[in-house]
Amino acid sequence: MTASAPLIELDRLAKHYGVIIALQDITAAFDGKIIGLLGPNGAGKSTLLKCLLGLLPYQGRARVLGLDAMTQGGEIRDRVGYMPEQEAFLAGMNAVELCTYAAELSGLPRNEAMQRAHAALYYAGLEEKRYQPIDGYSTGMKQRVKLAQALVHDPEILFLDEPTNGLDPRSREEMLDLIVELPVRRNCAIVLSTHLLPDVERICDHAVIMHHGTVRFAGTIDTLRGARGRDSELLVEVKAEAAKLGAALTAAGATCRVTSPIALEVDLPADATSQLVFRAARDAGLQIRELGVRRDSVEAAFLRVLGEPPPPAGLGVA
Amino acid sequence: MSAGQIHDLGYKRYVGTRRSLGTRWTVIMRHQLATAWHGWWRFKIWLIGALMITAVGAGVMYLATNKTLQMLAGMGGRQVSFADGALAILMPWYGRIGFVVGVFLCSTVVAGDVQSGAFTFYFARSMRPRDYLLGKLAALVILMALLLLAGPVLLAILRLGLCQSTDEVIHTLPILGKAAAVGALGTMVYAVVPLGFSALIANRRYAMALWTAYYVVVGAMAAVAGAFLHPMIGALDLSTALGAVTLDLFEFRMLGRHAVELPISAALISIFAHAAVAIAIVRWRVRGAQHAGIGGSS
Repeated sequence: MTASAPLIELDRLAKHYGVIIALQDITAAFDGKIIGLLGPNGAGKSTLLKCLLGLLPYQGRARVLGLDAMTQGGEIRDRVGYMPEQEAFLAGMNAVELCTYAAELSGLPRNEAMQRAHAALYYAGLEEKRYQPIDGYSTGMKQRVKLAQALVHDPEILFLDEPTNGLDPRSREEMLDLIVELPVRRNCAIVLSTHLLPDVERICDHAVIMHHGTVRFAGTIDTLRGARGRDSELLVEVKAEAAKLGAALTAAGATCRVTSPIALEVDLPADATSQLVFRAARDAGLQIRELGVRRDSVEAAFLRVLGEPPPPAGLGVA
Repeated sequence: MSAGQIHDLGYKRYVGTRRSLGTRWTVIMRHQLATAWHGWWRFKIWLIGALMITAVGAGVMYLATNKTLQMLAGMGGRQVSFADGALAILMPWYGRIGFVVGVFLCSTVVAGDVQSGAFTFYFARSMRPRDYLLGKLAALVILMALLLLAGPVLLAILRLGLCQSTDEVIHTLPILGKAAAVGALGTMVYAVVPLGFSALIANRRYAMALWTAYYVVVGAMAAVAGAFLHPMIGALDLSTALGAVTLDLFEFRMLGRHAVELPISAALISIFAHAAVAIAIVRWRVRGAQHAGIGGSS
């Protein structure tokens, strides 16, 4: 991974299945440590991943780690790890055998493959259970094996497809802990394809939102959540008596919603600024602890982005 | 487990060389060989069966060429043609073993991988469909050759060793090529064709049943039709086709006529056509799996 090149670059990327347009002239660049790839069913995420791995022909250009996906798909797949959503094991193998085989298929010598298989499985938390046949593993253990086999050949990017699917809350937390540590401990970037927006909110620093074969948003999570474009929607936290401040602001023409005894959401009237809140608090004898522009949750931002009109074809979104 | 409790043995970026893309099919081959060797019923027991056939064949050959025994039999030291024909007689027995291994091993390969999601595992890496095909095919051919090629070639070498003179060795030498040719054809039939059947259906058991039904039921029907309607129809039965080639190569005659009516050319065309179609089916299935097996959540 070079310092200058983005992880993924798309230049008028298009993919048609007959008359069906799966990807529509996408021009974008994705970067970040943990990128959430989001979109409703049929948005084009699967097709995009296949194109990026060099498994499908396409129009336009796609580069991963500076390599052309059309002509250098093999090299890309050596440098990318993929954790599938569905089960992708070989019957009768234990976790060590599977991960060693995976590493060898990615070109590592047998001894190195064996060592890295043990290290990856240890990292994934399988420890002594790694010698048991995978067929008898629980869902959580299988997810860990899938993570380990994606990691074992030392990838620079990991594509994780619904890594917390089917996990109980504790296992989900553990899996997210493992994932969030990977960029730090293994120096690899992560592309997380998921429908679970709380997972994205918890661990991703960047997001890519796809809809109808186009990229509707690509940028940081902060930008996504704060991209309401309206400084008049505020979140106010006071020391006490939020309701009293709410009443004062309502009298001044604002719309308020008290969310707790110490917090309220405020929509300022036209032409008003945050000074209105400070004045109202001073007049009511209240102390403001925190005041900020109200930001969407990732879920709200996601729905908002999907509701916006698509960008013009061929225009960069990053 | 919080982030602080993550077990990490330490990490270093791998900077060594990687095996070239062109040789990674050997990893698949090695894995398939190891899988077949694991346990008794997939391969080992049938290898023992093939060894027993070879041992019986060797004994028959020895007895048939042993001068003392021949004299005792009142044959005056005349060469007994049964020694040369023993190989051809034993080939159907090797074939039966090949068929059984074809059912339990070869006809489940692709179906099993489709069923278990293994193609996603393979094609998320820098494997190409031809690497998969080559790796699996090479392994199955090696295994089947141990059953169908090694035995006949050993017997042919033994037959040459039992020759009484240099002239006899020279006269008998073609048996080595014939044994190798028949063994190689048998290897192709019982390794490649069931592999094709394994790619027809995404279920191991159904693929086994399909290959068995084709070989036994369709084969028997074709053999009967070949016997009563037209000899060429018999070529559709792989067992008949292989038998025709064997008997023709070993110059078996019955009452001065060919032992089977099926021409060797028709038998060979049938065998090669079966193998070509089987490889085409596997290729089609694997290429489809490469495109379909990877993807984000949808």
